[in-house]
This record gives sequence, C-alpha cells and structure tokens, in this order.
Amino acid sequence: MTTMSRRAFLRSSGVGVGLGLAGGCAPAMKGDFAPKRGPRVVVIGGGWGGATAAKYVRLGDPAIEVILLEPNKQFVSCPLSNLVLSGVRSIDSLTFGYRGLRSHGVRIIHEAATAIEPDTKRVRVGEGYLQYDRLIVSPGIEFQTEQIAGLAEAGDQVLHAWKAGPQTVELARRLQAMPDGGVFVLTIPPIAYRCPPGPYERTCQVAWYLKHNKPRSKLIVLDANQNIVSKTGLFRAAWRDYPNIDYRASSKVVKVDTGAREVTTEFGDRVKYDVVNVIPPQRAGTIAVQADLVGADKRWCQVDHVTYESVKHKAVHVIGDSTIGLPVPKSGTVANAMGKICANAVVHLIGGKQPPAMPPVNVCYSWVSDKEAMAVINAYRIEGGKVVQIEQKLTPGQSQAFGQNALGWARSIWNDILG
Amino acid sequence: MTNRGRTLVGLAGLALILAIAAPASTGPKDPGYAKAFSCSACHGWDGASRADTVPVLAGMPAWYLKKAIQDYASGKRPAAEMEPYAKMVLELGVDDVANYFARQPKPAPLAADPAAVERGRVAAAPCAVCHGTTGKGDPAKGVPDLTGQPAGYLRNQMLLFKADKRSPGEPTLSAVKALMKTIPDAQYADLAAYFASQR
Repeated sequence: MTTMSRRAFLRSSGVGVGLGLAGGCAPAMKGDFAPKRGPRVVVIGGGWGGATAAKYVRLGDPAIEVILLEPNKQFVSCPLSNLVLSGVRSIDSLTFGYRGLRSHGVRIIHEAATAIEPDTKRVRVGEGYLQYDRLIVSPGIEFQTEQIAGLAEAGDQVLHAWKAGPQTVELARRLQAMPDGGVFVLTIPPIAYRCPPGPYERTCQVAWYLKHNKPRSKLIVLDANQNIVSKTGLFRAAWRDYPNIDYRASSKVVKVDTGAREVTTEFGDRVKYDVVNVIPPQRAGTIAVQADLVGADKRWCQVDHVTYESVKHKAVHVIGDSTIGLPVPKSGTVANAMGKICANAVVHLIGGKQPPAMPPVNVCYSWVSDKEAMAVINAYRIEGGKVVQIEQKLTPGQSQAFGQNALGWARSIWNDILG
Repeated sequence: MTNRGRTLVGLAGLALILAIAAPASTGPKDPGYAKAFSCSACHGWDGASRADTVPVLAGMPAWYLKKAIQDYASGKRPAAEMEPYAKMVLELGVDDVANYFARQPKPAPLAADPAAVERGRVAAAPCAVCHGTTGKGDPAKGVPDLTGQPAGYLRNQMLLFKADKRSPGEPTLSAVKALMKTIPDAQYADLAAYFASQR
C-alpha cells in the first residue's frame, strides 16, 4: 500500500461499480457516442462470464458487433488466487490482458456502465450512451459491507481479498508480516456467496503457510454457516494435516473493531486477531441492483434457464455470480458456461431463431496444499425449461495428480475466456 | 527442377497448407457446436487444448472420442472429472459432439525439448508395433492416434496403464499394460514428448 493511493487501491479492487469513471470519461463519450450500424450486443463486465459471452457472440455470428464495457484493463483470476496468500503463486501469474478478445473483433471500452435503460435499449456510460439489441450483464458480486458493524469505517484496514487483485497481494503481505505466534482470523459469510469452497480452500492455504513458516501461529475460522458448505468430507480430511486450524461453525461475525483488533459474533463472542480477513455477505453487482434486475431479496437476479434473459426486463440477459435460482454454484466454471450458452442464445434470438436448450457444467478444484488439490464435478440437463442436476461427483480424495488437473483446467479455461 | 516441377511442388505445398488451415467444419452451424460447450471450458471451443495435461479433441477420430465418452460414462475408464460430463454428452448426442471435434483442425504441437523427442523416437519401437512408427494408430484394430496429444496427457495415461487404473481388468489392454511395466519411469516423458511432437 505504499505506492498506491487509497482511491486507486479501491478502484482496482473493484469496490463499487462506477468508481472507474471517477477520473472522468473521454470527451467523445457524449450522446450516442458509437452509433449502431447493425445488430449489436453490449456486454457489461469482463470477468469469467462477460468476457466469455463477448467472445462467443463473435464466434457464433461475426456479423454481430460486440462492445464490452470493463473498467479494468487487466483480468485477474479469482480461481488460484488463494495460492497467492500462501506464496505458492504470484498475482502476475493470474493476470491477463484482453488482447485475445480484440482478435475476435470484440470492441472493449475500459469504462463502467453507469445505468441501464431497458425501455430504450440503452446503456449509459458517463455522459453518453450505447444502443443495443441485446444486453448481457455480468457484474459479479458486491459486498454488503453494511451487514457488519465497523466494516465500512475500517476501510482498507480490513481486507476481503474476495476479488483477486491488490487486496490479495496486500493480505499476503500482512500474513507474511504477522509475527510467529500471531492469530489470523478468517470470517465466512452465510451462503449464497461467490465460490462456495473458496473460503475453505483459503483456510488450507493460510494453514499450509503458517505450518511451514509460523509454526506457533494459528488460524481461527469463523463460519456463519452450520458446517463447511462444499466438499465437506474432503476438506475435513485435508484439515487433518493442519492442527493449527481452529474452525468454529455457526459463528456469524456481525462486528469488527480495528482499534481493539477483534471481531464479534452474533452470539457476542469476541475473537482477537493479529491479521483479519473478513469475507463480507454479498449481493449482485451494483448495476444489477440499480437496474432493477434483482428479485424480491434485493440481492440476486432471476433468469430464464435457457436464454439467461432477465425475468424482469426483456432483451437484458444476466449471467455469472449475480444470478440465482439455478441449481449451480457461483463458480468460475459456471460463469464461463453461462457466458457461452447465453451468447449462443443471443445469437439465435437476434437471428430470429429458437435458441437450443443447453445445460451448464461445473467443476470446482480446491487446493489443499502447495501441490495437492481435489474437486467437485457437476453435470446438468434441461428439464421442462429448467436446469436440473444429473450428477455430482467428488474426486476420491486429494492428490498431486488432481493438482496437475487443476492447473490444466485453469490454463484451459483462461484460454477459453480470453484466448 | 523445371519451372513446371517447381510449380507443382509449390501447389502441393499450398494444398497442404490449405488442408491444415481450412477444416471441413461448419463452425457454429455444426450440430455439435453448442453441444460441445459441455467440453469447451477445458478442451477449448474447437478442441484445441493448450494445456499439457488436457487432451486435444480437435481432429480426434469420431470413433475414438465416442468410445472414450462411453467408457467414461459407464465407469469402465474411471475418471471423477470426466464421468459426469460424459453422461451429459451421451444425453446431448455423442455423435454430434464427436463429429464436431473430428472436423476441427488439429493445433500445432506444444513446444518440446528436441533431445527428449529424439530419445523418445529411439525408445518408441515397442509402441510402434501397434500404434505405428509415428503413432498414427490403426482404427481397424481400435488402436488410437497418439500424434499431437499433449505430452503430459500421454505420460499420465501411460502411468495409469502401468498401475492398471485405466480400464482396470480390460483384457484387450493387458498387452499394453504389460509393456508399460517394462518401460523405466524415466522414459515415459521421452516417449510422450516424441508422440506429442508428431502430426
């Protein structure tokens, strides 16, 4: 944090859609700054879902113009970013440019969408707007900071590191700087949140690091859920190697006090920390809330299971972690799958054809040490217009071979999204 | 060489380049294109895997991919990461998916250490009995094409054969499994590098 201002830090952390415009937008972006000359798809958000969708619309029909709105100039992979905390990987090894998408003819504008106008089929960008035939919204998640007392006031003193980037690097630095004997506290929000097994993988990575570097330290995990929510048996087995983990279920954190360096659970238990990592409760990205794409819960977006069109607004499709109602986890693989299925549906709809009913897929690898991983695999079908699960399978334990497969998966899917 | 001869050689070369560059694929209009989304996160939309442990499906003969999917789905070829997807592909239509990938152009092999490739070429004689000198295989005998598959994937399969973890107990594979036990572990990577480098 020595070379980056707080504002720049927050912006690159992806906190708050719209901050990307804080520095002012290009003077040319006023009115209809890119008049539409043919069929056009605008994609909001260049993460796992949006970048995939942008590419696959172009693959499906090169006659369709695709404009991707993404404030960040680089893509940082959340999957594998827990390995940055343990020092096993660098953030640079998870950081990629958008050049591959440009080679598919995707036009990328590094600005944030500020509003959606479904009635006029316009996306607001600063003082201007873009017209669309179909809009794909892939805004990811935003944190419900207000659900934990003291969290908003704490600012960068309390990190989430749940959007890979500068916060990941800074949390790794704090972990490394913690004295041997220090206590690291990780708090897990109630489901639904991005990447169900992610907090438990993080538990493994922090514990692995402490075991090898700070043997007198311990990791206290305060989980708002009643039990490990994903790959329960596999994580329990993995944790046998880490007696430094103190896992406490049904321990929802409701307050953080940076002065006293302690967090408080809903039952009033106070837990002191040397380094804290609060993963706050989450909802769909801000633009989805502002555009009235979220349901009665005001958190997540309901969509058609075949086309990913919003149930609330026509010609607006929502994909990725901000969706709810499908029996799928909020995972990178699912966002990637939704991106291509939605893109294909959009190509069909623009061409006046019936979209095929394609189910998504899921695999979530979790790294339990520097070399070993395990996974959960889900297959689905479409029944009566809805996604239903055919099967869920776990790897038989953890191994270095699954670690190799996890790396193969990562390299492949990054290429599928951006290559 | 005469001018005409040079032209013929040139045209033959051009035809070869076109044959590699222009596949007989209809891309998104192919009935297997969208069905292959079930595979593309790992294998690429066109089957051109760029990861060392993930097999290339592009240009894979349809009969072999179909067999692999059926074996994964039935559990005959045990693989936790493949079984659910194989069942999905059977539901969606394995013929469409297999034909789609068979029509995609094979990517250029991943970079390999030339010394390892050469050591592998020398050591590959026992493999050539069934797979042919360059590893092209023999569809009539159900022997798969090894050429251009990533070295990490080939090596992993050899290790699975050796430990009888790939199609355990399958009688038609007893010879290859016996052969694998005679090959020193250190040589697996060389053999894999050799077949990976072939087209």
